[in-house]
Amino acid sequence: MRTIVIGLGNPILGDDGVGWKVAQAVLQRNETESRFSLLQPAGCKEMHHPCPVEVECVSLGGLSLMERLIGYDRAILIDAMQTGQRPVGTVHVCTLEDLPNPSAGHSTSAHDTSLMTALEIGRRMGLHLPSQIDVVAIEAEQVYNFSEDLSPPVAAAIPQACQAVLNLLKSIYDPLEHKESA
Amino acid sequence: MTQRITIDPITRLEGHGKIEIFLNEEGEVANTYFQIPELRGFERFCVGRPIEEMPLLTNRICGVCPEAHHMAAAKAADAVYHVDPPRTAKMLRELLYSAFYVTDHTTHFYALAGPDFVMGPDAPVAERNILGVIHKVGLEIGSKVIRARKYGHTVVEIIGGRKVHPCTSIPGGLTKGITEEQRLEILEMGKWAVEFAQFSLKLFSDIVLSNKAYVDLILGDIYTHRTYYIGTVDENNRVNFYDGKVSVVDPQGNRIGKYAPHEYTEWIAEHVEPWTYLKFPYLKKVGWKGFVDGKDSGVYCATPLSRLNAADGMATPRAQEEYERFYATLGGKPVHQRLATHWARLIELLYAAERWVELASDPEVAGPNFHTVPTEMPTEGVGIVEAPRGTLTHHYRTDERGIVTKANLIVGTTNNYAPISMSINKAARTLIKKGQQITEPILNMIEMAFRPYDPCFGCATHTLPGQMPLEVTIRNAQGEVVQVLKR
Repeated sequence: MRTIVIGLGNPILGDDGVGWKVAQAVLQRNETESRFSLLQPAGCKEMHHPCPVEVECVSLGGLSLMERLIGYDRAILIDAMQTGQRPVGTVHVCTLEDLPNPSAGHSTSAHDTSLMTALEIGRRMGLHLPSQIDVVAIEAEQVYNFSEDLSPPVAAAIPQACQAVLNLLKSIYDPLEHKESA
Repeated sequence: MTQRITIDPITRLEGHGKIEIFLNEEGEVANTYFQIPELRGFERFCVGRPIEEMPLLTNRICGVCPEAHHMAAAKAADAVYHVDPPRTAKMLRELLYSAFYVTDHTTHFYALAGPDFVMGPDAPVAERNILGVIHKVGLEIGSKVIRARKYGHTVVEIIGGRKVHPCTSIPGGLTKGITEEQRLEILEMGKWAVEFAQFSLKLFSDIVLSNKAYVDLILGDIYTHRTYYIGTVDENNRVNFYDGKVSVVDPQGNRIGKYAPHEYTEWIAEHVEPWTYLKFPYLKKVGWKGFVDGKDSGVYCATPLSRLNAADGMATPRAQEEYERFYATLGGKPVHQRLATHWARLIELLYAAERWVELASDPEVAGPNFHTVPTEMPTEGVGIVEAPRGTLTHHYRTDERGIVTKANLIVGTTNNYAPISMSINKAARTLIKKGQQITEPILNMIEMAFRPYDPCFGCATHTLPGQMPLEVTIRNAQGEVVQVLKR
């Protein structure tokens, strides 16, 4: 089972960078706690054993993001979210299917399509894409001002979001380890 | 009292855009406004950082064309350090850029323009999308699109160090070269890209050009504006995406001049309107006369169509044949019909693929001389490339240590802000008629007015859930909602 953890967003656009920071926190926690000994940054080719979990930070959406998911069985996306319904800094965990497809099959942006539509295209093409995509979203405040800093409630949410990612990984891999030991 | 219709937002990943249509009491269009929330503070964000960081930083401005910002910033950094990169470095950059163009133009045509033409502008919205296109034309097309994108990304990764957001261009050249083996791999992918571009042009010919209704739509007045055009050309006045001078032609197609990057402030000025933060660039020598067509109006356009209009031809043989066919079919130069931009984009796709092969065929591209060490004191510099959606200008001033003290960027789409506004206005005025219900197909026909420009408004935010549905609210004279259209 290959899993990819992706921190999404723009690291220089305020709270939009939170996805990257959470992904980096996941890697760091993993190093200090050896929680998932097989977790590594994506693209790291010098591993001595096969690595089921890769972690990456990207600024992608739509088709490009779908293409990045090719070859994985599971994916966890970490991103800023602006619903306006929840307090800033709230961590929300769901699956991609739980979110409304913003485009409903129509092109979402002037230059791309939504991730959901892109995934549907990929599946029709017969590409190997994750059977489940989990989302860890953090309610954001400021995503239109250039800044490398997060607003305080969003920064404060990093440990909780990081824990949510680790919990998801645990739920993916623990049953597997259990079976193997049995 | 006027009624107000809001189309908000029309786009997402490149930043929100909002169309507001004000109706008068008779139900006719009183005015239209195309608003874009500005991403604030980028120039200030650059100040205080080393100039060599700009190619890395500016490619984060935009989620769509990071490669274009990387190149424009790198060229500006060359100029700041007064260093001329060696031939191998220029070839590598242009090769990366050509592959990027193939990816970008492919995506636009198949994901955005395709649905309007393959499915038809008034097809049900549930079908008028890339999935509908694949369903109608065949799964094989979807696979080709994915393959074209994959090859483009692979070349960007080989030369640029990583996918999508390249990081190898520095003042004086690149941090690394490519091996002979990589050159051959890139060459093979390029050959496939040429075939794919030819296939795309044939598809356009079969589906669009052989359909009289589509040809009439393209040639009709709704989507026509007679403006100035700009685009970068090489020393033989042929289209070039990476280097050259910016050619400016008037609405009759006469070249009124060419400017080098450092001369841009003599040619381009910016007009401010109270209802939007974004400025409207115009030709300084002609002057701002409002949102109007014609030779006396400084409004200019910078798109694939503009580049073809501003040049004398294409630098590669197959693209040149298509260029000639384009003007022969559409009645000579310049072509003002904005929907023809989709065709122009495919001709550029072919040029980019052919250029990819040309550059990869030269063994010098894999040579060891990919960097000239800058030795002069950094001062000030301008870099210009053609972003897929328009001429992209980066201008930096630094102190003697190379720390940025001032930055100014004119991004691709900003060039087209005035023409896009004009196109939306004209389409809305033509299509929304007194007493007639405003339907989804009508709104799509209005969206079709800006789609040829492939607009991109600056940011790489991918904040979930991504986008609110397209929503149009029509209010009566008392401000009450009388009709809501959603998609």
